Amino acid sequence: MIKITNLQKFYRTEEVETVALNDLNIHVQEGEFVAVMGPSGCGKSTLLNIIGLLDDLDEGSYVFNNVEVAKFNERKRSDLRKHNIGFVFQSFNLIDELTVFENVELPLIYTNVPAAERKKRVEEVLEKVQIMHRRNHFPQQLSGGQQQRVAVARAVVNNPKLILADEPTGNLDSSNGNEVMNLLTELNEAGTTIVMVTHSEHDAKFSDRVIRMLDGQVIMETTTV
Amino acid sequence: MNTENIKTAWRRLKNNKFYTAVNVLGLTVSLATAILIILWVQDERSFDQFHHDHEQIYKVSAHMQTSESTAVWDGVPGPIAILAKDIPAVESATRVAYNWSAILVDNATKNQTEGKKIAYVDDSFFSIFHFPLLQGSVSTFLQNKQNILLTPETAIAVFGDENVVGKTVYWQEAPFTVTGLIDQAPQNSSITFDAIVPLSYYAAKFTEGGGNMHWKTIDEDLGNYAFNTYLKIQTNSSSPEIGTQLSNGYKKLRNGESSTLFSADLMSDLHLISADGNKSALRLVQVFTIVSLLLLAIGAVNYINLSTARSLERAKAVGIRKVIGASRTHLFLSFATETIIIFAIALLLAIVSVWALVPGYNAIAGKSLVFSLSNTTVWVYLGVAILVTLLLASIYPALQLTSFHVLKSLKGQSTKNSTSAMLRKGLVVFQFSISIILIIATLVIKQQLSYIRDKNLGYDKEQLFTVNLDWDAVQSYDAIRAELANSPAIENTALTGIYNIANHGEATGDLEWPGKDKNQSIIVTQASIDKNFIPLLNIEMLEGSNFTGLQSDSSSFIINEALAQQIGLKSPYVGQKLTFHDMEGTILGVVKDFHYKSLKEKIGPMIMWTHWYRGALYVKAKPNMAQQAIAAVEAQYKKYPTEFPFKYSFLDSQFDDLYKSDNRTGLLFNIFSGIAIFISVLGLFALTTYEAQIRIKEIGIRKVLGADVLGIIHLLSKDFILLVLIAIVIACPVAWYLMNEWLSSFSYRTSINISLFVIGGIMAVALAYITIGLRAMQAALANPVKSLRDE
Repeated sequence: MIKITNLQKFYRTEEVETVALNDLNIHVQEGEFVAVMGPSGCGKSTLLNIIGLLDDLDEGSYVFNNVEVAKFNERKRSDLRKHNIGFVFQSFNLIDELTVFENVELPLIYTNVPAAERKKRVEEVLEKVQIMHRRNHFPQQLSGGQQQRVAVARAVVNNPKLILADEPTGNLDSSNGNEVMNLLTELNEAGTTIVMVTHSEHDAKFSDRVIRMLDGQVIMETTTV
Repeated sequence: MNTENIKTAWRRLKNNKFYTAVNVLGLTVSLATAILIILWVQDERSFDQFHHDHEQIYKVSAHMQTSESTAVWDGVPGPIAILAKDIPAVESATRVAYNWSAILVDNATKNQTEGKKIAYVDDSFFSIFHFPLLQGSVSTFLQNKQNILLTPETAIAVFGDENVVGKTVYWQEAPFTVTGLIDQAPQNSSITFDAIVPLSYYAAKFTEGGGNMHWKTIDEDLGNYAFNTYLKIQTNSSSPEIGTQLSNGYKKLRNGESSTLFSADLMSDLHLISADGNKSALRLVQVFTIVSLLLLAIGAVNYINLSTARSLERAKAVGIRKVIGASRTHLFLSFATETIIIFAIALLLAIVSVWALVPGYNAIAGKSLVFSLSNTTVWVYLGVAILVTLLLASIYPALQLTSFHVLKSLKGQSTKNSTSAMLRKGLVVFQFSISIILIIATLVIKQQLSYIRDKNLGYDKEQLFTVNLDWDAVQSYDAIRAELANSPAIENTALTGIYNIANHGEATGDLEWPGKDKNQSIIVTQASIDKNFIPLLNIEMLEGSNFTGLQSDSSSFIINEALAQQIGLKSPYVGQKLTFHDMEGTILGVVKDFHYKSLKEKIGPMIMWTHWYRGALYVKAKPNMAQQAIAAVEAQYKKYPTEFPFKYSFLDSQFDDLYKSDNRTGLLFNIFSGIAIFISVLGLFALTTYEAQIRIKEIGIRKVLGADVLGIIHLLSKDFILLVLIAIVIACPVAWYLMNEWLSSFSYRTSINISLFVIGGIMAVALAYITIGLRAMQAALANPVKSLRDE
């Protein structure tokens, strides 16, 4: 599903050019659950952003679902993103002014799903993450674990083929963290491809494969199962 | 705009009550003020446009040429209308003459009402103008010269009700049959009346009274400029040409001896551009229009500044939405929705405020404006103004916010911050420049008005009042004077033909002097006075002596300096010969020029003599005894038969009346500049609040490191104060230029003092400093531990 070859990414300031990702190659099969690990600053979040089409690459090729997307413009990326990719962040990134229900509904609005269909799908996914009883609450009224479950619900409501999770348990205690990991595992079992950046060896164990990075390069890949 | 957008926007506004309140308040005030100004402007522009054919109706004015200047007269002689009818381009012509203070009596009840303005009109009046009859018909009215039309108000004043058709009303002891009820002229009509009588009545009285010299009918009388004459001309015909034809026709009637020119000017233009070309009224309307737009702009600036400043807060939400799949259009609509909601609330509040304020505003502006939601002109003005403001206030912030890079905005950084900070600073400078210009304008207007008030007019108006005496009282003036001399409350009295010394307009060209050039002509103001007038008003004699009250007065003149200079007399003036209205005489004395007209005009030549009718009694009361003096005069007044009730007016108030509209302008400017400053300061207050909010951590660290309160205040205020200083630098030359323009309409004017700019500048800086200081102090006094822990 994801085939990245010879990826180069630089960060430039007026004086220095830093190499963030250096000649990096990655393949992710459809249905895989991949964890990306490495010390701070190794480039794993940059990689995730590039996979998610939030950031662009300087050199190399990125084929997503057999389409070369490296040169896509903002509109095309946005279109591809909203139909294919769901995001889960460490800091949840829910919108404060919207209720749980409305936060989850938002991606469906942006993909022009009719209202009745939206309601059905949002309720389904809220049931799935067991947060239906809080549907009319605002994010500030929820615990961290609950907020992250909402974020996961929002990421999957559009049935994306790929979920990108950036340290999804980083702000959670271990029991809430486990809940979120179980949720991701369930989704993966149902066929969703997952790429997750994490610091936690514990979380990495939920994945099929661990990619370890250092200084912008892949240094090791291990299969966990 | 969908429900999701509305819901989110509404919640955001609710969660940020302070900023929402600042935005709504600022916009409400600027919108309400703009609406009020627009109502005023609309009214000023609408004069005489309610006549269906207003684009074809022209008014004739007379231009009296003299070597020094041109005097423009509103009324023209009666034959002008007759001449006009022979011009092919003129469809019809009509004349209107007035009696300004008629007394109408219902003989049955003896009920009477005085001070009514009666318009004498030609038959064609009703076919040219749109003054609808509520009862009766025009054709019946025109059948008899002793018919009369009453306005409802007059009808009620005379008869107590509006069912008056067929009744008889007496005026000057002549009976008039009421043949109809005519609607009151709207307040934006230059023609006003309480009752209407056929001009044929006036004409008949004129002829019965022997006419004017050899002219026996008003259609022949070339000497009486009593008729406001209106022409309905064919579309596409040239009004200057009609003016020339009238001038030529008149000259022919005068056997070739006339330098008087006539012009035909579009009636509906004359309210703003007078026939002499004076555009000061138009300019005032333009200034007010600009002020209303500037106020809207200042209000919009607050909104733009607050939204761009707070964009950091929103950056994250924008980032999330973008990640989830929001397009720029989605985001733009969500911001625009918020702006529209704020505007809608502000507009609603503004409409309610305008409704509540209109009565008070009318009192200040001297108008009877009506604010109605069905007033399409206001909506068009307002619609365009709001749309522009809305676009300005929503497009920039929305574009700026939506252009944030996704990743950076997720991290709470905005990419274009330096550009928008520059823009914000520019807008603050703009706001304060406008405010400072308005402050300085207000100060200059104030200074000019007090200059006028305090200017030495050349006569002493303290404790002086006038009473107009009727014929019999004038005949017995010596007895009245003797009686009043006995009153302990009265210092002295005089009798004169000057009814309003603040604005005396009786002028003639009928003056000859030895050595006068044949082609030289002059318009000289004339006044009949007695020997007491000059000492009573304390008018300074430069040369010669005052009238004596003896027979020799009848061949003597007293002139002012301006006349002596204008006709080129050589000093000593006393004893030189003049011929005035065919009467030969000598100059007895010369007075120092005094202001008998508005200070907008230069003092012109004046001649005083003892001939002709004098009906104005001037009374000087002793200090603090004005009421007793009035009572004493009233007692004398009532001894003589008159149909007019006793009325007095102080010279002070006559003087103030003359400058009423200038005082109004001054007051309105006071209010507008106050509002502009209020909105600007409100914006500054909100910006400082925000600044203090985002720099709270920095302030905390500085305090921990030992900064004191003053230091923190300085930190937060120095940038803003710099902006205000820049605004002062921009505003001063602009204000100087604009106010010099305004002052140039006064012949006697104050000079713009540099101190006004200093005061204006200090006021602006002080206001800004207080506003910022209050907020900064709060931030500086906050416990640093708390603000650091907040992270």
